[in-house]
Amino acid sequence: MSVDTTSAAHPVPSGPDPSGPIPSAAHPVPSGAATDSLVAVFRRVLETPEVAADSDFFRLGGDSLIATRVLSAIARDHGVELSFDDFLLAPTPRALAEKIAAGR
Amino acid sequence: MTGPDHSTAPPDPCATASGTPAAARAGRVSTAVVVGAGLAGLTAATGLAARGIDVTVLEARTRVGGRTHGLLVAPGRQVDAGAAYLGERHTELLSLVEELGLDTTPTAMHGASRFVLGPEGTTRDGRFPPLNAVALGDLFELLDELTAAVRPDAPWLTPDAARLDTLTAADWAEQTLTHPDARLFFPLFLGEMMAADPADISVLHMAFYLRSGGGLRYLNAFEGGAQQDRIAGGAHQVCERLAGRLGARVRLGEAVRAVHQDDDGVTVHSTAGAYRADVAVMALPPLLADTVEYRPWLPVRRAGDRTARGCAVKATLVYPEPLWREHGLSGWSVNAEGPLLSTVDDSPAEGGVGVLTGFVTGREARRFGALDPGRRRAAVVEQAARVFPMLPPPTGLHITDWVNEQYSQGCYAALRGPGDWLRHGPTLTAPHRRVHWAGTETSTEYFGLMEGAVRSGHRVVAEILARG
Repeated sequence: MSVDTTSAAHPVPSGPDPSGPIPSAAHPVPSGAATDSLVAVFRRVLETPEVAADSDFFRLGGDSLIATRVLSAIARDHGVELSFDDFLLAPTPRALAEKIAAGR
Repeated sequence: MTGPDHSTAPPDPCATASGTPAAARAGRVSTAVVVGAGLAGLTAATGLAARGIDVTVLEARTRVGGRTHGLLVAPGRQVDAGAAYLGERHTELLSLVEELGLDTTPTAMHGASRFVLGPEGTTRDGRFPPLNAVALGDLFELLDELTAAVRPDAPWLTPDAARLDTLTAADWAEQTLTHPDARLFFPLFLGEMMAADPADISVLHMAFYLRSGGGLRYLNAFEGGAQQDRIAGGAHQVCERLAGRLGARVRLGEAVRAVHQDDDGVTVHSTAGAYRADVAVMALPPLLADTVEYRPWLPVRRAGDRTARGCAVKATLVYPEPLWREHGLSGWSVNAEGPLLSTVDDSPAEGGVGVLTGFVTGREARRFGALDPGRRRAAVVEQAARVFPMLPPPTGLHITDWVNEQYSQGCYAALRGPGDWLRHGPTLTAPHRRVHWAGTETSTEYFGLMEGAVRSGHRVVAEILARG
């Protein structure tokens, strides 16, 4: 899924490295605690226990509305504002934890 | 009471629903009059007839269908001018659709969306609007919390119901939402979900509606949600086929003015005559049910002082074919300014024509209602050009104003305002002696949807059979 980011109304990317979505050694290593907390958030918003660290949000039936609830929970719990595009590029608990670590 | 005052007239024994005086069959319900030939009334009438009860259905309009209505947009091509969508959880409606030999067709939702939320329009993949995702997520988290807390079977018994029933959704937004994007999106969301202006509904009603429909995510979703499918050829066919089976038992063009009960039965007075039966089923939206005169009078009216009409107008824009698809667009748009707050591709699956349905909801529906017909059409065409500048003007335009439909009094469903649920909830389905209540607004399951209407019809049949 690609998203047109040319709109003036589009939120600014909040991560420091929007061009590099693939996790690399240069990224800070996410804490297991952040991944665990995201697994719990996924379970809560998707209303299913079937979530692991590498579960894909959209394969579990997630949609954009629920994705925003995950982003809200991340902002609340971790103090990092990720964009919807960030989420599309990192739709698993582990990948989101990496985004959070990179965003700090 | 709001109904016209009728002088006392003895029931006309020649006009009994059954041809047999109801009193002669004391002890068991053998005759029934159903008021309203929408989905609820026809479901109820069909169920009663199947159990050997002699049924008469009285319908004010010269058509059946109520808030379902087919619109001919091309030869052999009808689209929904009223209720349209259903999903997998709508099990009662789905089994009715199957039993009637009708098919469902998936809602087409492939391609990019258009958003006009600021001075410039934008095109984006998917349905997510170009707004701050965390702000919208905060909004949905708050709404989910309210939705989860509501008692779905009896919203008036929800913890904190008294407070939630006092506050309007507009008050709640004012107090709770801080981010401008959440404030912008909230009324658009409620318009799309409930055809409501936030100022019209209580927080309790908002939470109940979202819960009743299956929760935020289910109610909002097309694929995997409440808008997954349409009924091929139009939802009105469900009603037309039910009415076809009932045959002469359905009487069109007879508006009901009064429902009088005595010890032996009920007499339903229409504009064409009086009908005597053991029981009556009022399958009408609450605001319409309150225009009927009841004797004995209703201890609690069906609608409250703050109950408002569902504010939905559908604009059906007709094109030679779904031209937006050639531009990689799904036809979905969300717009901050009206009249069209959202559009969706409702093209018939059989092809031959392209149809965009524009939703004018909430406050916009009221504003729109004040315009004369020429101005309305011009406003729709102008907006279509702004939202879809790549498309030629529509070749046809039909405007269906449900707010001003005398025999619906709003659409999708009545909007419960402050105080309404606490006062009217406890008697939502309670029979008034021999009078039973149907209609999607009496269903705590899938309230406001076709599924709720069908379930209310089934409930009423069970109630009447249980009378013995």
